[in-house]
Amino acid sequence: MVMSRIQKIPVVEEKKGNPLARVFDDLVRFCRSRSLFILHYCTGCGAIELPPAMTSRFDMERLGIQPMVSPRQADILLITGYVSIKTLKRVILTYEQMGSPKYVVGICSCTVNGGMYWQSYATAKKLDEYMPVDLYIAGCMPRPEAVISGLQKLMDRIKSGEADSWQDYYQNYDYYLGNQQKLFGEDWQTPTDIITEAKHYELMGEGTLGEHTRLLEQHQNPLEALEMRLGHNIKEPIE
Amino acid sequence: MAPIELLIELTLMPLIAFIVGMMMVLMMRRIAAKIQRRIGPPFFQPLYDIVKLHGKRTQVSHGLIHDIGIVMAMGGYIAAETLLPVPGMDGIAEKGGLITLLYLMMIPSLGLALGVGQCANPNGSIGIARALTAMLAYDIPLVIVIFGVAYAAGTTNLVEIIATQQAGGFATWGVIEMPLLAIAGLIAMHASLGKQPFEIYIAPAEIATGPMVEMSGKYLGGLFVMQCFQLYTTSVLYVSLFLGGGTTWFDFLIKSFLVLAIPVSIAYLFPRYRTEDLLRLMWKWPVMLGLIGLAFVM
Ligand code: SF4
Repeated sequence: MVMSRIQKIPVVEEKKGNPLARVFDDLVRFCRSRSLFILHYCTGCGAIELPPAMTSRFDMERLGIQPMVSPRQADILLITGYVSIKTLKRVILTYEQMGSPKYVVGICSCTVNGGMYWQSYATAKKLDEYMPVDLYIAGCMPRPEAVISGLQKLMDRIKSGEADSWQDYYQNYDYYLGNQQKLFGEDWQTPTDIITEAKHYELMGEGTLGEHTRLLEQHQNPLEALEMRLGHNIKEPIE
Repeated sequence: MAPIELLIELTLMPLIAFIVGMMMVLMMRRIAAKIQRRIGPPFFQPLYDIVKLHGKRTQVSHGLIHDIGIVMAMGGYIAAETLLPVPGMDGIAEKGGLITLLYLMMIPSLGLALGVGQCANPNGSIGIARALTAMLAYDIPLVIVIFGVAYAAGTTNLVEIIATQQAGGFATWGVIEMPLLAIAGLIAMHASLGKQPFEIYIAPAEIATGPMVEMSGKYLGGLFVMQCFQLYTTSVLYVSLFLGGGTTWFDFLIKSFLVLAIPVSIAYLFPRYRTEDLLRLMWKWPVMLGLIGLAFVM
């Protein structure tokens, strides 16, 4: 139950009597819901249903949904199928680099509970243990209609402001980090410093810091800007 | 002209350019959709995209130069709009002239190069290297074309160039008098838009949108705004040089949208060239056409 854990961020009471005070927020929320850039991280077989959903047959662009190629530009992370443990590392790096508000959509039963890979040693079973998931579209695999109707549900939730589970990642970072450490070992570290980010954007919650983040701080390499050098390998890739 | 009037014009011109530019983006995406037998985005889609990108909660900046680069990318075009006469408004076009305009239209690419440089993303660096190479490729025919038009008109003043074309009627339009230059200009314009077959620096499938790869939130939003200005500037410049500008807003807009529709409809039918092919193509055909056209004008 992701949603119940999110603490409401205290809102400074605005002056009463100004009917325009909320107009701008509403406009931004509306635009957010009508313009969704998806990063389709094609992990499993479910990815095959996306091309028909995007191209002439079902045309997602009429809903304002567009594919984008880099995580920085994207709003939605589509996980289209089973995530192996090695893939999950990349998914988490990708997720952390996206700009908030960001939404994760798990397509396929495999992201819900492992699906037919339940007994596999190499796949992560439940996606929402590692990152907050806004929407699951179950099926093995769901048809493009199901994908589009699922995304329409997400659009409604964004419009009404309910889809805020991205805040959960900041507010309960300790929980997610704990699960990640369980899987990847204790020296797991991503290049994005979530705690500093949470402090900067005032998204700290009760669960942001905890035993797992303490563990992270013990071995964390300080993040430095990449050195620009020619003819030399930049540090080894995260493995 | 009263300074206050000038001030109003200088604010109105970029504003109008932005709104028209958004409609041009919409037209581009609709044409793409029609060619691919899709329905295409809704009417306000470009606006939704820009508002959404500026309304993101986390904005990842890579440093001061990154910020300045985006401002330069937009600012170059905003300054260029004030030099492009539109029906009823001349702005400072009379004092600026074509050469200043040409310079201002190069600033965005340079600004982008600065900004992307600080992102330290290899895809971005490759993208920007290609973007500057592409600029080198299409600027030579563009300069030949603009020189030819200015030489034929005997002035670099855009207002005068438009006025002579309008006074003489259809037969004195640049496209009738200098057809070869007009064709070369169209090719150069197509390349300067960076659309397929000349889309070497965006190339989403290869270098992940090149210069845009590290841009998020308002930085990407700034680039979306820049694209609106870019479409507007190139098509309006072409209309002013070859199609007699516009006497009323109606025919002005029709002309600029039609001119833009040509490269855009070609774009979505083709894959793209490689960098060296683009360079070879741009330095061969449009330059040759332009030089022959120039010989006729001389
Ligand atoms: S749910 Fe079925 S289609 Fe989807 S990833 Fe799993 S096995 Fe493949």
